[in-house]
Amino acid sequence: MENEFLKSRLHVNRRHFLGKMGLGLGSVALGSLLIPDLFSGTDDAALPIGLPHFAPKAKRIIYLFQNGAPSQLESFDYKPMLTKMRGEELPASIRMGQRLTGMTSGQKKFPLVGSHFKFQQYGKSGAWVSEMFPNIAKIADELCFIKSMHTEAINHDPALTFMQTGAQQGNRPSMGSWLSYGLGSENKNLPAFCVLLSRGRGNGQGVYSKLWTNGFLDSIHQGVQFSSSEERVLYLKDPAGRDRADSRKMLDNLAQLNDLNYKEFGDPEIQTRIQQYEMAYRMQTAVPELTDLTHEPDNIIKMYGADCLAPGTYAANCLLARKLSEAGVRFVQLYHQGWDQHGNIVGEMPLQAQDVDRATAALIMDLKQRGLLDETLVIWGGEFGRTNYCQGDISKDNYGRDHHPRCYTIWMAGGGVKPGMTYGESDEFGYNIIRDPVHVNDFHATVLHLMGLHHDQLNFKHLGRRYRLTDVAGKVVSGILA
Amino acid sequence: MKRTQRIFLNVIFFLQVLLLFLFLFEDRLSLPLWLEVAGRLHPAILHLPIGLMAFSIVLVFMQSQFKKKVYFKITLTVLLLTSFTSSVTALFGFFLSKQGDYGLDALTQHKNSGIGLSFACYFLVLAFVYLKKSQLIYYGMGLLTVCVMVYSGHTGSVLTHGENFVLAPLRKSSNSLGGTEGSAFQSVIYPILEKKCTTCHNRTKAKGKFVMTSMSEFMKGGKNGTEWVAGNPTESRMIQYIHLPLADDDHMPPDGKPQLSRQEIKLLEFWIAGGADVEKKLADLADLDSFKIMGSAAIAMAKPITTEEKPYLFSAASEETINKMNTPFRTVFPLYQKSPALQADFFIKESFKSTSLEELLEVQNQLVVLNLSKMPVTDTDLKTIGNFSNLEKLNLNFSKISGSGLSSLRSLKHLSSLSLAGTSITALSLTPVLALSSLTELFVWNTKITEAEKAKLVTANPKITIVTSQFVDDKILRLGKPLLANEGTIIKKNEPVVLRHSMPGVSIRYTLDGTKPDSLSISYDKPILLTATSTIKAIACRPGWYCSEVYETTCFVEGLKPARAELLTKPDKQYPGEGDKSLVDGRKGFIDVFKESAWLGYQNDPFAAAFTFNSNPPILHSIVISYGKNVGSSIFPPEVVEVWAGKNSREITLIQSIKITQPLTYETQQVAALTIPLKATHYSFYKLIAKPVKKIPAWHSGKGKKGWVFVDEIFFY
Repeated sequence: MENEFLKSRLHVNRRHFLGKMGLGLGSVALGSLLIPDLFSGTDDAALPIGLPHFAPKAKRIIYLFQNGAPSQLESFDYKPMLTKMRGEELPASIRMGQRLTGMTSGQKKFPLVGSHFKFQQYGKSGAWVSEMFPNIAKIADELCFIKSMHTEAINHDPALTFMQTGAQQGNRPSMGSWLSYGLGSENKNLPAFCVLLSRGRGNGQGVYSKLWTNGFLDSIHQGVQFSSSEERVLYLKDPAGRDRADSRKMLDNLAQLNDLNYKEFGDPEIQTRIQQYEMAYRMQTAVPELTDLTHEPDNIIKMYGADCLAPGTYAANCLLARKLSEAGVRFVQLYHQGWDQHGNIVGEMPLQAQDVDRATAALIMDLKQRGLLDETLVIWGGEFGRTNYCQGDISKDNYGRDHHPRCYTIWMAGGGVKPGMTYGESDEFGYNIIRDPVHVNDFHATVLHLMGLHHDQLNFKHLGRRYRLTDVAGKVVSGILA
Repeated sequence: MKRTQRIFLNVIFFLQVLLLFLFLFEDRLSLPLWLEVAGRLHPAILHLPIGLMAFSIVLVFMQSQFKKKVYFKITLTVLLLTSFTSSVTALFGFFLSKQGDYGLDALTQHKNSGIGLSFACYFLVLAFVYLKKSQLIYYGMGLLTVCVMVYSGHTGSVLTHGENFVLAPLRKSSNSLGGTEGSAFQSVIYPILEKKCTTCHNRTKAKGKFVMTSMSEFMKGGKNGTEWVAGNPTESRMIQYIHLPLADDDHMPPDGKPQLSRQEIKLLEFWIAGGADVEKKLADLADLDSFKIMGSAAIAMAKPITTEEKPYLFSAASEETINKMNTPFRTVFPLYQKSPALQADFFIKESFKSTSLEELLEVQNQLVVLNLSKMPVTDTDLKTIGNFSNLEKLNLNFSKISGSGLSSLRSLKHLSSLSLAGTSITALSLTPVLALSSLTELFVWNTKITEAEKAKLVTANPKITIVTSQFVDDKILRLGKPLLANEGTIIKKNEPVVLRHSMPGVSIRYTLDGTKPDSLSISYDKPILLTATSTIKAIACRPGWYCSEVYETTCFVEGLKPARAELLTKPDKQYPGEGDKSLVDGRKGFIDVFKESAWLGYQNDPFAAAFTFNSNPPILHSIVISYGKNVGSSIFPPEVVEVWAGKNSREITLIQSIKITQPLTYETQQVAALTIPLKATHYSFYKLIAKPVKKIPAWHSGKGKKGWVFVDEIFFY
């Protein structure tokens, strides 16, 4: 029995050695044929993980995900033509056979409808912003709008999963996990990837933990969800009757037991577990310091709005996101639900915008005044756009929009993107892209590039092949790089 | 020499003469068709002499392996074959040169060297046979022949693959065509031609007599003149050739060569449609011009993505040193792979000590970014920081410095960003850092610098971006609502009700009688002691802010527990709750989760339940029904509530019946209390009936339908 263990540990005998060597040399030779630049530059071959590949523009990301897909036509992509043509049929030459969701596939007419909300140009950059976002409008010169995003999925779940993991199916690591894997953690007392949820007042779509999964990566890269309750990280408090010293003793003994187990089985997940217990122990000190908002100066509260003191609101999450990011968390992922306006845009969207507008602008300016905006990338946007035609019947003062994957708007700010610019353009119907399309894979490639990573070299071997966030596609959008 | 070999040699001699003859009288020659076929075999058979020649070189080195005679025989055969095949190759090549449309220079070179090679091979055989004594001459001639062969081979490859074919992958493309610097032609069109056309359409090869590597020849066109009609792509020969089917002989680029992409074809067409202008710049075109849009995109795509990396002159610290620096509370890491520059971050202020900063002196030259935000750093610690001579970014926000130590930072000649917000520095103490010529940004809000000094600072230092105050507007904002701090809304006996607000300095005012609270309502100074189930309405106020919106919650005081509780009618299938148990289990439902087991939902049947007390029943003053109200989802208060009571289930009478006023608009959703007053009864059996709204009123979207009733708990007092 013992012998077998020994053998399995060594795993090498003469035959293995010779076999491996023959195969190894052969594959090196073959590899040089298949990958022409395998030997050309020693720099790029098999880059080690844990540090940026090259000088990064951004060190951390805050992704303000607007879950449910906010309408680009009511927020940042101004299309007066739609108002002019209100009620007229969407021309077939524009739709070009675009598939429909189950919600409008039975619809006989596709009447165009323009924004109910007024638009105006702001800042030196002259960015168009709707009246629903007065505070974001004020900081328009800090933002880089991408008006030519397009995706492959037409329903929430696959589109959301695609935006977050680079695949529609939901078994791949999330963006944050990839960055945690590629760059490691800056602060050993906090997880590298944190997730904050909030819910607006509009029609909502769920979020689920597969969106912040580590997929096939080591489980230490999984996103840690912060709770909306008073206790932001659940089960972090010492249980009643046990103090910190007891915890320490308990953990030390537990680590010894786990270590014995590791020596016996060699499962790397055991090591991960030991590390996670240790991090949780240190989080007991780090998290209360972070989540305590009572020491924030009055002006900060005012910047984000009073809501920022109520746990679980978008404003509170923005403030917490800033604090986490300031404390070195690589990737803070917010999800704000409630943007799925199939009907009642006029009623619901202003409420959604109200929840988001002030705190978003505050977050960016707060980062700026701390000298952190140049190294923090902030991303704002949803999983797809909304149609330029009305879902259901147009009424005199209300309408709704269905899902539209062909063209939508997101914006970024800070870390390495050009401020005060608009990239890409949609046609005057806001339906198709006419300039500089940006695919979700390109978006991912660009984000990784800003973080100092070659998107085609950050990979992980799983089930016999190498996977990347951008998988087999993606091109860095150089037009938005500062 | 054997007879066969002699004949062979004579044939070769004849071939040389033939070659010479053809070479001299080239102009008078016209080829029969079958010889054209022979000519086209030239690229195939040319490999034979090369291989044979190589073999003869191998033989020289293997000389010692053979007997002298054998060596001579083999070598002679090989050399004869080499000479023969090279003559035939030269001959066929000659035929080929008569039919192709090759550029002159390279062709002449190849032709001459090819014929030269044929002669050289012949003389090599002669030297080997007749100068047996002096092998040196044979070797010398051999070397010469090889040289001629290499040269001839090279000139041939230039003909088929274009110039610099071999080294092209290693060379950067140079825009050799000229033309106006920055013109659309130069930046968009020429790169396409260079990538896909000029390997054949160049001076040396000049297929179709069309040369694309010089501007004048490009404009002149090929053998049939200009290749395009400006403004009209469909009439342009160049475009027509591109659009021919791939199988067509005239299709360009020829089958087997890299083809033009759809985008490239479009660009060529747009360029011709726009007048085939070689001077105009993209910027001069109209904004929505398709050529401009696609062209700019192509330029952007082609531009390699550069990553600028700052060169650092200092050497890297060893990996071991860096690893040693890393503790849970201090992270030290290179900015990126192979960068000597380091960043250090400190976390958890309780764990910060001056010594942990001093330990960084081991990497004092490498440290470029230092983040001490919120750490209890004092002015004496700044002395240590003064040693980090390559520091570029220093974050001391919310640290404990007073500014007196800032003069220690004078030695930081590379410092460009300094954050001092939230510290107690003064304007005066900034003088030494303002003198740093490298400084570009400075953050000094929330410090002891006065407003007047701030303005002065900004004007006196135009080169530095100084952030002196926070980016906050003067708008008055509304406070958030106060909240209930108790764990649930069921209040135990003598349990105080606690309200709270997360903002310090807020005053809370509340009412218990259902009226809207205002600044004159009861001030919340201490926890509230409730005697009966009541609805608390509260607002939060604070100077400088608008009062909050009203917070409303109903607190249910724990009541008397009946010995038995059972449902008499079945709840709707979708909302069965936990049946009887849900009535008095002390669990409240959440307002927007009606699927939860705390809720019992009724629509078609009225809610009816029976409660039995012990043989010695308590005196009851009221019954409270806790129900859900969500008017938007057609969940209304019950229309009528009846209480029947008696000694047992058979002997009961109606003791109370209430009609409830229904909402008239979409009111906010909430869990509400319906209090039914009783006249100090003491029965042991009670039956409670709550009837749903029979017909939803006309203003509601579900008009005419039955309303829903949701109950989660019944209380007895």
